[in-house]
Amino acid sequence: METIQYAIRKLLYSIPLLFGVTLIAFTLMVYFGPDLTYSLLGKSATPEQIESVRKQLGYDQPFLERYLMFLKEVVTFDFGNSISTGEKVSSILARTVPVSFAVALPAFIISNVLGVGLALIAAYHRGKLWDKSVMVFAVVGMSMSYLMIVIAFQVIFSTSYGLNWFPVQGWVDPIPDYIDAGFFETIYYYWYYYWLYVTVPTLTSIFVSLGYNTRFFRAVIVEEMNRDYVRTAKAYGIGNGRIMVKHVLKNAMIPIITRIIISLPFVIIAGNLVLENFFGIPGVGLVTYDAITNGDLPVVKAVVTWTAIIYVFALILTDIAYKLIDPRVSFTK
Amino acid sequence: MKTILRNFLASESSRESLWSKSFRKFRRDRFGIAALIVVGVYAIIALGVWVGLWGQNWSDISDEGFQGISRDHWFGTNLIGQDIFARAIAGTKTAFEVGLVVALSATLIGGVLGAIAGYFNGTIIDEVIMWLYGCIDAIPFYLFVAAIAFAMQDMPYAMHVAMIATFWSSTCRIVRGEVIKIRNLEYIQAAHAIGVKPLTIIYRHVTPNTFHIMLVQATISFVGAIKSEVILTFLGLGVQDGVSWGTMLSESINEVLRGHFGNFLAASGFLFVLVIAFNMFADALQDATDPKKISS
Amino acid sequence: MAQEKPLLTVENLSVEFTTDSGVVKAVDDISFEVAAGEPVGIVGESGSGKSVTALTLLQLVPDPPGRITSGRIELDGIDILSKSQAEMRQIRGDLASMIFQEPMTALNPVFTIGNQMTEVIRVHRKVSKKQALQLAIQMLDTVNIPSPEKRVKQYPHELSGGQRQRVMIAMALSCDPKLLIADEPSTALDVTVQAQVLKEIHRLQEERNMSMILITHDLGVVAETCKRVIVMYKGKIVEVAETKELFRNPQHPYTRTLLDSVLTLRD
Repeated sequence: METIQYAIRKLLYSIPLLFGVTLIAFTLMVYFGPDLTYSLLGKSATPEQIESVRKQLGYDQPFLERYLMFLKEVVTFDFGNSISTGEKVSSILARTVPVSFAVALPAFIISNVLGVGLALIAAYHRGKLWDKSVMVFAVVGMSMSYLMIVIAFQVIFSTSYGLNWFPVQGWVDPIPDYIDAGFFETIYYYWYYYWLYVTVPTLTSIFVSLGYNTRFFRAVIVEEMNRDYVRTAKAYGIGNGRIMVKHVLKNAMIPIITRIIISLPFVIIAGNLVLENFFGIPGVGLVTYDAITNGDLPVVKAVVTWTAIIYVFALILTDIAYKLIDPRVSFTK
Repeated sequence: MKTILRNFLASESSRESLWSKSFRKFRRDRFGIAALIVVGVYAIIALGVWVGLWGQNWSDISDEGFQGISRDHWFGTNLIGQDIFARAIAGTKTAFEVGLVVALSATLIGGVLGAIAGYFNGTIIDEVIMWLYGCIDAIPFYLFVAAIAFAMQDMPYAMHVAMIATFWSSTCRIVRGEVIKIRNLEYIQAAHAIGVKPLTIIYRHVTPNTFHIMLVQATISFVGAIKSEVILTFLGLGVQDGVSWGTMLSESINEVLRGHFGNFLAASGFLFVLVIAFNMFADALQDATDPKKISS
Repeated sequence: MAQEKPLLTVENLSVEFTTDSGVVKAVDDISFEVAAGEPVGIVGESGSGKSVTALTLLQLVPDPPGRITSGRIELDGIDILSKSQAEMRQIRGDLASMIFQEPMTALNPVFTIGNQMTEVIRVHRKVSKKQALQLAIQMLDTVNIPSPEKRVKQYPHELSGGQRQRVMIAMALSCDPKLLIADEPSTALDVTVQAQVLKEIHRLQEERNMSMILITHDLGVVAETCKRVIVMYKGKIVEVAETKELFRNPQHPYTRTLLDSVLTLRD
């Protein structure tokens, strides 16, 4: 109950944030954004047509008026139709978000779990060879450009110059109608193609994020290892491994979980522009990329708004996670 | 343990300034020195391109396309026969230009706003600044950049502005936190109480204690900027005319599938060495300037 | 009465720290003994090496930056410095226990009192969780914490500073150590609570006939609890004396300064 009250209070507090995000998005993309009249009508439009379209788009209205129009779309979650394809924005998102999720989730989980594991190993052997090896690996990983890794991995895994194990790009197609697949065949089909297409992107994103994760987690864990309670535990004969996994890790969990939860909305909703674009995966990232290059504002608006909303929920979720971990945290002031 | 050590060392540490101490510490960090030398070499290359000593012929079509590695072309030539090495050299200037402009502006804006927010902690000014960076954190980076690129239409500096507009927030957050911490220190409170002027306090205590943070933040922003340039250029939001490692990597995407690795290797190599050197330099800098760090 | 072998013998112990400004001798060639059942005070200002000495007795000095350069420590017939960290784990909390200065931070904030106490007990004694909890409750009762059954379910932040320090004492004594090292056990507490906690430590030390090393910067604390005092200054032992003798006739000028500060405060 206390938690629900707290969540609602936080939601109310986050209204200024959502307000700010929409204001920034509106000002940049709509008010100063490109004039869409011609992309809607083509070059050979009559002045009357232009006039009516401009009116329809609200270009003749003052700033505030137009912002309120924008806000109305946000509040009703009705972002209209895509300018380039005419498809409803909500149905575009419903179609693409699961794909992005399916692509991003394995990498996200593996990278974080592996990051915490490596960080624990490094922190446990602080200053020794293991620590140095892990940190060198992390800095090397951090110093490579995303694009560089994407290209390199594609060459290594998907071309005849390398292993040639996986397709260069693409995504799982539904089973063709003429094949009469049974239940297990269907599952096998999707499972097989899913990993066929998702493996290289997954390896790529693990490689890109692992260095950053490991470094961050190690710093958090090392800081926690300097606390007095660690010395106490040592002074009472508790083993180092147990101290790490029980005492230190639980205390370090707060910053670790914060980082993981906060990055989640960007992984799910904003998708991954570079990765999806490069591997031809029809997720939110690819749609967003197309929307950016075509000036398809309704789509961009929807993605920005949804990310901000989920971000707010993620912030609340981290607070609730704090309470679960740290008994000192109280929601009642 | 820390308290014991600190108490113990308090008597030991002389009254030398943070800076000379940091400098001495840094000088003993072999990796830091090596990294600084590498960054220095890059800087000289960039400067040379800028003043016109070398790397001017990057756009000349000097040979056949897709030449292999030779004495004339250290990394071969690209599709239309431009020398890839010359382009990588010219790209160094672009990288430094983007990195320096973004790092300096973002750090300055973040530092000033952070100091203001921290100093006026608890007032409406603080709230507004926190709200501002809160909003920016809630917008996905590439979308925000795209939005700014939209708003600025085809201005060549859209990318720089976009990066500055996002990168300042982390510096601001850190500086704000530090200033609040400093403000709450007992001796600062005491200085307030006995009537030391706020400007004196800021000059004597707040500035020296945040400057090293800003220096580290600037190096981090620099790295962030040159890495983002690559992605943004790939997404079509980056460098419009001129050559950069981003344009080279983007060009290489289709080339590598046909077995031409010149562009990819040159751009990746140049980028990787600079970024890893900068990362190591930032680490060494952080170690050297962190007053809390006691052991070597 | 025949001279018994002392419980703790420290001979020519030196500890160095590597710092940014070179190597510092934190403990410089010190030797002392603690008899079985004897309470001894180590007094000195911060940085005098007294805390480092205490940590060294249990091999708790972090290495790096700390390094034991010479010396011998014999505790209950065991050569401490020849033991590995794994072997030391058997000794810490069992043969010799330690109480720290900051009861606020010395306990892990995210685990209950019971959890932390039973963990220590179960490291050294083969008992079930239930038995360990029973023992923990019993120990809390011994150190006069009211309603111990409730306390074991609470977290450190729910207790007062004095109670937290009592929990530390209970934890330290839960495996019946022969030597208790108390590093400024009362310094971080309110003045009124300080006296209570010290009295508690004093009572338990006498009841259990433990050896004790009480580390403090405050001679007043030592006067009430210890028979013998070791005065340390800049890593060296400058004076060892019976407490009464020390107050009556301090030998070293530094001891006199320390005494003066106590006496002026008392007057």
